[in-house]
Amino acid sequence: MAENSIVLGMADLMVVAAPIKLITLGLGSCIGLVVYDSFAKIAGMAHIMLPDSRGLHASEKVGKFADTAVPALIEEMLKKGATRPRIKAKIAGGAQMFSLPGASAEFLTVGAKNVSETKKRLARMGIALVAADTGGNKGRTIEFSTSNWMLKVKTLGKGVSEI
Amino acid sequence: MPDIAFSDRQLDAIREVGNIGTGNAATALSGLLSRMIHMDVPKTELVSIYELGEHYGDPLQIVGAVFVRSTGGFQCSLIFIQPEEDAQLMVELLLKQQFGTFIPAGEVPQEMTDSALTEVGNIVLSSFLNAINMLLGTQHQISVPGVAHDMLSSILDVVASIYGQMGETALLVNTELKVEGLEEGHKISGHIILIPDPDSLELLLRKLKVV
Repeated sequence: MAENSIVLGMADLMVVAAPIKLITLGLGSCIGLVVYDSFAKIAGMAHIMLPDSRGLHASEKVGKFADTAVPALIEEMLKKGATRPRIKAKIAGGAQMFSLPGASAEFLTVGAKNVSETKKRLARMGIALVAADTGGNKGRTIEFSTSNWMLKVKTLGKGVSEI
Repeated sequence: MPDIAFSDRQLDAIREVGNIGTGNAATALSGLLSRMIHMDVPKTELVSIYELGEHYGDPLQIVGAVFVRSTGGFQCSLIFIQPEEDAQLMVELLLKQQFGTFIPAGEVPQEMTDSALTEVGNIVLSSFLNAINMLLGTQHQISVPGVAHDMLSSILDVVASIYGQMGETALLVNTELKVEGLEEGHKISGHIILIPDPDSLELLLRKLKVV
């Protein structure tokens, strides 16, 4: 059966039942976080932009920050029938697009902070991170298949890998 | 929810800063390439940080980008973005001028292409910053430029990471430059995008006397 695709935009967060392909395009310093329960046949994705909400504004999307996206995504998974020990996670993204020798600006290294905060939050919730393709200085486009639970990562100049 | 609000008068004043910066940048680029430069009237834009990629074109388009950070009185970042083909053509034009013979960009080592792009970006963006700091009466230092070739939306993540922490809207000043007098069918264009630090906007408006 062919998989329909859903493309997630910035700060989007979504849980779906198989067979649906979850896609995020052009991740730079942002993170694509995938969680799935292959037994319950559901998967979720979040397009995380920043590590720390420092007190979320009421209007903002929970998917925007690692510290709010991880718990929200797991809660949504549990609500749709996943059980916590079966949930596995994969992440991609968190690149540093520009390096400016000598310049110190916090926002330039936000990719690395996104990665570490996402990993920390997953660990705190007891979710196993089974694959990651993070860092570097290149953007990524990702596709998660709910038929084989593989995350396809496309990187300019490096081709496609599956993790 | 709009988290930053400006009056039309304020947006116009900020645009004028962009106008003065771009004028100087276009002059510098014109000198460098020995060509006329067509310059659009800059736009001051309030853009949702969730729609940055779409706002500037096809989010997956491959672009060449040069980025600098400016510190001092008016803190900001500045980015020069070109479609990748335009960036390659510009490098070819520059090399032809330097060496007198045409060398296709594909035959030039990536380091040399990047170095040429960085140099053009540096000159264009420094000229922009010099003009606006002179207008504002502020001192400034400019970082070493960073260069990247990648998808537009990946590149623009940097804007989201600057504005994302304080809200959902970015204030940007955007101008397009076009190089004129090229061979039939050739195009070299680029966008200069000024990204003021959110916390330096107040200083900017005060200096412009439109608080």
